Amino acid sequence: MKLGLNTAKGVLLGLLLLPLSASCAPDGNGPMDERPMRVDMIVKMDRGDYWNTIRMGAEVAAKEFNVKLNFIAPDNENDYKEQIRLMEESIKRKPDAIVLAASDYEALGQVTDRTSYADIPVVSMDSEVASTKVKTYVGTNNYEAGQKAAQRLVELTGKESEIAIVNFVKGARNADQREEGFLDYVARFPGISVVDIQYCGSDEELAYRLTRRILEKHPGLDGLVSLSAESSIGAGRAVVELGLGGTLKLIAFDNPPEMLELLQEETVHAMVVQNPFNNGYMAVSAAVKAARGERLEDRIPTDTKLIDLDNMLWPENQKLLFPFVK
Amino acid sequence: MKWTRAIARLLKGFHFRKIQVLISFSSITITILAVVLVSFLLFNRFTKVAEENAYLNLGQIIEQVNANLEMYVSGMQDIFQVAQDKMSEASDITDEPKLKEQLETLLGTRQDLVSIALFTTEGELVRGVPAYPMRRNTRLTEQSWFESALRNPEELQFSPPHIQNLFKSEYRWVVSMSRLITYRDNSRDQEGVLVMDINFRTIDELSQRVSLGKKGYVYIIDSVGNIVYHPQQQLIYAGLKYENIEPVLNYAYGSYVDETEGEQRLITIQTVKPAGWKIVGVAYAEEFLTTRKELGGFLYGFLLAAIAVILVINLYVSARISQPIRRLERSVKMVEKGDFGTSVHVGGAYEVEQLSKRFNLMLRRIRELMDQIIREQEAKRKSELDVLQSQINPHFLYNTLNSVTRMAELGRTEEVVTTITSLSRFFRISLSKGDHIITVRDELEHIRHYLIIQTIRFKNKFTYEIHAEEGTLDCLTLKLILQPLVENAIHHGIEKSAEAGFIGVYARFAEDHLELIVKDNGIGMTEETLGKLLSGGIRSEKGSGVGVTNVQERVSLYYGKPYGLYFESEPEEGTSVTIKLPIVRAENPENTDKPGKGGENG
Repeated sequence: MKLGLNTAKGVLLGLLLLPLSASCAPDGNGPMDERPMRVDMIVKMDRGDYWNTIRMGAEVAAKEFNVKLNFIAPDNENDYKEQIRLMEESIKRKPDAIVLAASDYEALGQVTDRTSYADIPVVSMDSEVASTKVKTYVGTNNYEAGQKAAQRLVELTGKESEIAIVNFVKGARNADQREEGFLDYVARFPGISVVDIQYCGSDEELAYRLTRRILEKHPGLDGLVSLSAESSIGAGRAVVELGLGGTLKLIAFDNPPEMLELLQEETVHAMVVQNPFNNGYMAVSAAVKAARGERLEDRIPTDTKLIDLDNMLWPENQKLLFPFVK
Repeated sequence: MKWTRAIARLLKGFHFRKIQVLISFSSITITILAVVLVSFLLFNRFTKVAEENAYLNLGQIIEQVNANLEMYVSGMQDIFQVAQDKMSEASDITDEPKLKEQLETLLGTRQDLVSIALFTTEGELVRGVPAYPMRRNTRLTEQSWFESALRNPEELQFSPPHIQNLFKSEYRWVVSMSRLITYRDNSRDQEGVLVMDINFRTIDELSQRVSLGKKGYVYIIDSVGNIVYHPQQQLIYAGLKYENIEPVLNYAYGSYVDETEGEQRLITIQTVKPAGWKIVGVAYAEEFLTTRKELGGFLYGFLLAAIAVILVINLYVSARISQPIRRLERSVKMVEKGDFGTSVHVGGAYEVEQLSKRFNLMLRRIRELMDQIIREQEAKRKSELDVLQSQINPHFLYNTLNSVTRMAELGRTEEVVTTITSLSRFFRISLSKGDHIITVRDELEHIRHYLIIQTIRFKNKFTYEIHAEEGTLDCLTLKLILQPLVENAIHHGIEKSAEAGFIGVYARFAEDHLELIVKDNGIGMTEETLGKLLSGGIRSEKGSGVGVTNVQERVSLYYGKPYGLYFESEPEEGTSVTIKLPIVRAENPENTDKPGKGGENG
């Protein structure tokens, strides 16, 4: 009986203490209190509207998924050696995931393979990299984008014409694919000759100079295509300065505001617009999923659109072309 | 195997009608039901109140935003009105230097004003600030603000967010206010569309100031469902986020619960009157309605603990009540098995204590009675044996036969005949077919024959008298109760006395009983001897062996307490022994062999 009385007392004491423990329990287990995930995003360049918009998308995703985002890039888009170094540094930091926009398809392959030793998942964005360790690729179907540009240029110039290409980085997967798509489409028309292909290394100034040289060398040029934002800006400037606006058919890539102005001024006739915001956003969300060990599709494609003067002010295109800045 | 057996044993021991089971079951069920019911009611009541408060609170927050936005929008309307007045008042719109200054001042006052411009109904720029050159291909006549101003000439129009592509400046997202106004150009009244573009700075600020939990937010749509402002506008524009606007359009004011995202979201709607916009507050139920979860968690824990406590207390209490009863039961079982030495446990509840006390008393009484019965049975058996022995007392027979032989030698034939006859009668009654109970008549007959023999043997050393009162003869008595007394009287009273002895044997009624009295005039007894005699301390060696105590025992055994032997004795005076017997009459009294009324000499 004595034992019975003691246990009864113990239980009563427990009952008194219970409200305290119960009221404490629900706190401190919300998902908000988790340690933020660290994601390194290594891109080709930290300047330019294209990369800024990617960064915006990435940061929105980072906020949403509680990610500490480390956005890093070499100064120059074709400096793949610096990018390899950045990758190596990043592997040492051991983030939860890495998002990589590779400047060079081949050169970045080895360092990307090495991430698997450190057990860091890698998501490839914007342009692919020669590594099987990549969990997924988020970005434009570049080959298709190149074809879209070619299709519109052919419509504008006709089937008997001379055209030139201002590309950006030779060896970068996206540049190569766009060029390939473009050339493959144009090859269907025997009357069309591609007279020149230049690489500006994503340098606006170089693109401007290269374009001037092309235009001076080929005065009868009917069409010009520039395959990146920077090469488009340079090419656009050259065309305006040479007073060829309107007569030379110019197809640009991406949507820096300068190009949109030129589109409205009818110097640029059409532009292939990627969705950099979505690229950035979806790359980070894919990286979060990869870090959690979820399975991902091999490719997460984002759309490209061909924008011209007629459709640039359509509400949905306004939303695509102009980042919403408050 | 072991545990199945253990369970089987447990089930065997388990009985639904056990007190412990009954008490436990009923009280546990009732208390648990009560606790659960109370918890449930409390939970519902509290959560309801908390939810009502949450909705009220939410409504108030949105109301506040609404008030701020209405103030802001009406402020903008005022500015628009000022701009309109200035434009209309100007005597010549193109040639009024003061107008430009005034408009620029107006624009300068607010950082959220992007531009003010007046267009002709054909879309030609009349005047505008800031004075940037126009872009080509603006296609402004196709834009919504222009079209709606022409369509609704009276009212001020608010456009959905769009890109301002009119001037060579940045492309910016703006909301345009527009109205068809009249102005004077070249002294002629003209109609034109006045447009004022506002950026999102203040709207954003006002909406961001709201706190609807960590995840909650406020967004604004116009009357047809275009999103005017959303904290994640870019995500929505990019198609990465979706806002379920359709149900919102059905409300001007009010709130509802939306579950399209899998989470419960409380949607609260208010309308900004001047612009026709709707402010939509989105709060997440899991953040806003925490009471339900917290209270639920608490009550759940409380319930478990309460049930645990109730169980323990219950088991304890019911055990307290039922244990003593079970112990009592076990004790009774022992008694049932024949162990009367068991002492029942006394303790536990008052009733049980009383019960076991009574039971103990009963048990003791039973024990006593049993002992008594055993003793009585033993005494009975012994006395019966004694009686049996006395029936064939060899000593008496030997003495009698001895005296008969002597008489025969002397030739006293008559005496021999008398003695032999009496002896045979004596024995006949002694045996009396084995009955214990005989009539007083037989008993007196028996003693008469005994006395005849003894008077012959003792050569008339004493005389005797036998007298029976009317009616006593047919009463019943235990047999052979007089003979030991008479024997005593002869051996201890008369034989030792020098005087001529007398023995009287009487039967009479006294009050409600029968008395058989044996009187002698022998040496009598002292008080001391009398006491010894009654306690069985003195036993005659010569006698029949059936002592006085034996008679006493037999009578009291057979008839019970008040009946038995009563002695009166005085030394040198004689002794009188009275045997008290109940009056029991024989069923068919024999009227033969009437004993002699008077004295009879042997």
